Amino acid sequence: MTRVILQLWSRFRGLFGEESSNREFRDEIETHIALLTETYVRQGMSKSDAMRAAQRQFGNAALLEQRQREARALLWPSTIVQDVRYAFRILAKSRATTVISIVSLALGIGVNTTIFTLAKAALFDELSVRHPEQLRLLAYAQDERSVLREGTWGDFYTDPQGRTILASFSWPVYQELLRRDNSLGELFAFVDLTQFEHLSATIDGHAEVVTAELVSGNFFRSLGVGTVLGRTIDDADDSAGSDAAVAVISDSFWQRKFSRSPFVVGKTIVVNLVPITIIGVAPEGFSGASRVHNPQDLFIPLSAQPLVFPRKASSLLSDPKTWWIQIMGRMAPGTSEAQARASLAVSLNQAVRSTMDVPPGRTIPPLLLLPGGRGWNYASQQLEHPMPLLLGLAGLVLLLACVNVANLLLARSSSRSREISIRLAVGAGRARVVRQLLTESLCLSALGGSAGFLLGYLSRNVLPRLFSSSWEPAVLHARFDWQVFAFTLLVAVLSGLGFGAVPAWEATRNSMNAGLKDGGTTMTRHRHGLPGKVLATAQVALCMLLLVSAGLFVRTLSNLNALDPGFNKKGLLLFAIEPSAKRYPVLKNTEVLHQIEERVRSLPGVESVTLSKEALLGQSGSNSDFISEGEPSLAGKERIEFNSVGQDFFQTMGIPVLYGRAFNSSDTSTSTRVAVINRALAQMKFGDKNPIASFFRMNPEGERLEIIGVCADTKYAWIREQEPPTFYLLYTQQEEPIRSMTFEVRTKGDPKGFSKEIRKTIEAVDKDLPLIDVRTQEEQVDADLASERSCAIVTSGFGVLALMLASVGVYGVVSAGVSRRVNEIGVRMALGARADQVLRMVLGEAVGLAVAGIVVGLSAALLLIRFLVDMLFGLRPADPLTLLCSGLLLSLVAVMAAWGPAQRAARIQPVRALRHE
Amino acid sequence: MNPTSEVLQGTLDLMVLKTLSALGTQHGFGIARRIEQISENVLKLNEGTVYTSLLRLQQQGLIKSQWGISENNRKAKFYSITKRGTKQLAIETSNWETFSGVVGSVLRLKDVRQA
Repeated sequence: MTRVILQLWSRFRGLFGEESSNREFRDEIETHIALLTETYVRQGMSKSDAMRAAQRQFGNAALLEQRQREARALLWPSTIVQDVRYAFRILAKSRATTVISIVSLALGIGVNTTIFTLAKAALFDELSVRHPEQLRLLAYAQDERSVLREGTWGDFYTDPQGRTILASFSWPVYQELLRRDNSLGELFAFVDLTQFEHLSATIDGHAEVVTAELVSGNFFRSLGVGTVLGRTIDDADDSAGSDAAVAVISDSFWQRKFSRSPFVVGKTIVVNLVPITIIGVAPEGFSGASRVHNPQDLFIPLSAQPLVFPRKASSLLSDPKTWWIQIMGRMAPGTSEAQARASLAVSLNQAVRSTMDVPPGRTIPPLLLLPGGRGWNYASQQLEHPMPLLLGLAGLVLLLACVNVANLLLARSSSRSREISIRLAVGAGRARVVRQLLTESLCLSALGGSAGFLLGYLSRNVLPRLFSSSWEPAVLHARFDWQVFAFTLLVAVLSGLGFGAVPAWEATRNSMNAGLKDGGTTMTRHRHGLPGKVLATAQVALCMLLLVSAGLFVRTLSNLNALDPGFNKKGLLLFAIEPSAKRYPVLKNTEVLHQIEERVRSLPGVESVTLSKEALLGQSGSNSDFISEGEPSLAGKERIEFNSVGQDFFQTMGIPVLYGRAFNSSDTSTSTRVAVINRALAQMKFGDKNPIASFFRMNPEGERLEIIGVCADTKYAWIREQEPPTFYLLYTQQEEPIRSMTFEVRTKGDPKGFSKEIRKTIEAVDKDLPLIDVRTQEEQVDADLASERSCAIVTSGFGVLALMLASVGVYGVVSAGVSRRVNEIGVRMALGARADQVLRMVLGEAVGLAVAGIVVGLSAALLLIRFLVDMLFGLRPADPLTLLCSGLLLSLVAVMAAWGPAQRAARIQPVRALRHE
Repeated sequence: MNPTSEVLQGTLDLMVLKTLSALGTQHGFGIARRIEQISENVLKLNEGTVYTSLLRLQQQGLIKSQWGISENNRKAKFYSITKRGTKQLAIETSNWETFSGVVGSVLRLKDVRQA
């Protein structure tokens, strides 16, 4: 062992003083040969014979010197510099190839860098807290018999098994769990208020929208997060009866509103008309527990809910029936997840039974533990869904670029065969020459990678924008950091080795003699240019794959866009109004909404105005039970979607009323409570009977509603969802206080042009009511399709890149083929072949190559398409139209790419061709 | 014989080391000549290969070198064995004897195939 170390150390020292060591060794060799010569002379040879014999006996001195040099020092540093310098000289000589290679690599690597940056944000970024991987979020699967059918608020999602997963709990249940169960340590609670409403804050006289998270007293402690100024919220702030209207602000809010002033602690800001004192500033990067990106502005104790976020007459904290809070815990290292879950499930059972009535026939939903390190938002929004696909496709683009470069290098290597043969003859080992060629490839990929990195940096914000709706902040933040750099470096090195290996091996396979012969043409060995053709076919195949995927996504998008939502989505302006509870107690808020309705209706250019609690295709909804007259129990009945709307709703939205009537002025807050149901609901609850004048209730104790009309089916919250059974109420007849309503304004001409007028009108009604989320109905629908649209755009971009790269590849191969066969074509023409026959021959071969590639690509596509199935809509995965168009397009591009070289072939003059040797 | 394979290079190292141990300080030419002589000219080396061994042995600390004047008044590098080299030589020699003994025994096994 020590010998090895000593050897390494000697070799390291050998790096220095190389020149003198070389000289010394040469002296040693000279001495040796001289002594040997003298010996032979003494044995009777002539001086010249002796010298020759001595040199022969000694062996290959030059080779020995080289080997000694290599063995003396650590191999790499000295020779690497040499290799790199030589590589750059070679690259500079064949400029065209180098430029095309660098551009191809820049595109391939750049695309991967961009997608990786995005994927990293969606897949890997975690909450900036202590040990995020230990966090667990409590959740459960909801079903019809669940005791939690009504009163749950918040985000939800559908898991792959089709279950609806929620993570909302009630405050009394949280208290019980906290008391009974510490399998996940000290449980803490939080709620992202932006799920429910926009908070307006007035700071130094300016009003604006802020985001906030309500948190429990142990929130900061359990997450292991402190403050950079002031103190965190603690248990004292969150105790019952405390009227601590305090807040911890985030670093970004501190930066934005207070310019990082050190005097911010103790300042008061007014949130939803409630004065709140700032007690601390959270560290940079801390965004709360609900989401990783877009930090919350404020963190407020849950005990302040009745002040800041009032919903019902009494505090939500004492209401066992409202389930709205998220709960997380920390998994201690070494504990079993299954055990913790089981224990908590039991505790949940006990907690529910001790806080609310569980009628017979109702079940308590089974508890799930979700990973909490990326917040609740991550699971519910399923941001990670398209990422693996995009990463895979980006990888294909890179592969295509690498094959392109490999092909170019291969073509060039045939012109370098002479140089390489000389080097092999002089004594360079195969390994050495291959190393040199790989160094050249790595230099190319380094240059391409740097350009790609730059491209990735410049386009880092493009993709996140695509995935979010146009009026909200981007849901993902692509952080361009050292991880992206490391990824790009890795990709560049692997690409370099990958595409470099093939030409390097091919180049050194040439026999030395053939290369050294003047104008050496190796006639046999293997078919001409086979590797090049194989690579080009591979390129065409990859291009086909990418074109097919692009085609499928584009068609999915157009299918979704073409879906009839059931209402007229054009020419509608949407905006939300949230009358604050303080200024507008229950009755008054319908008044102000009505006022706004009237005033906006009277504006010139406005055709009609209405409002609704849920914006159509707004990705959120309300549901309730539907108890027809004479229907006793609710067992097994699903909840029905509903919307609370204004009088002119059906007219404004363009929803036809099929039977009966819509709401009109005879329906007031004091007249019979009425409702309109849609056809699907009529079918479901009444079958063929006429539902008009029937009654129903929304809950067993509630007032009954009279059905006055049946309207056509429309899409509700998501465009992919089939039109659900829905009923509509008049908002002025609602007993629940209204916190937020979305106005729909039908205008003549471009809706966006009216936003200024409308803003002024509303300011005239109440200057403290901001216009929230102004957008058109079409933009709202587009937001629902953000994911599909992004995929379609990105894959189309890939498809275009693939076509470019593939056409370069085909051009290169056909061109090289023509150059190689100049003699043969000359002979053919001399023997009587016409120009157009030659043209057809070359094009025919190109088409053959393309067809082979298309067939391979097609087979691969058919195999891999099954992974896309759940992202497509309205078409079979093996959609014939897409496959056919892709194939045709690719063939056309291949022919166009081969046209130039084919023309060149056709114009060969036999005499000159035969002379050129 | 052309001793350029790994195995034979190793045994050349051993022979060089032994030569230096037995005959004291020598330069490269002397070592090569001695090995040829002792093997009674069965071993005809490409003499340059000795230098590869010398470099390796020197890197491993088993021999050391010094510049001096050779018998025909030329500058030459003289090599001599170190203490560590002497120790290693003893180990390698005993290994070689064991090894060749075992191989010999195996090769001398009577042929016991059924006729």
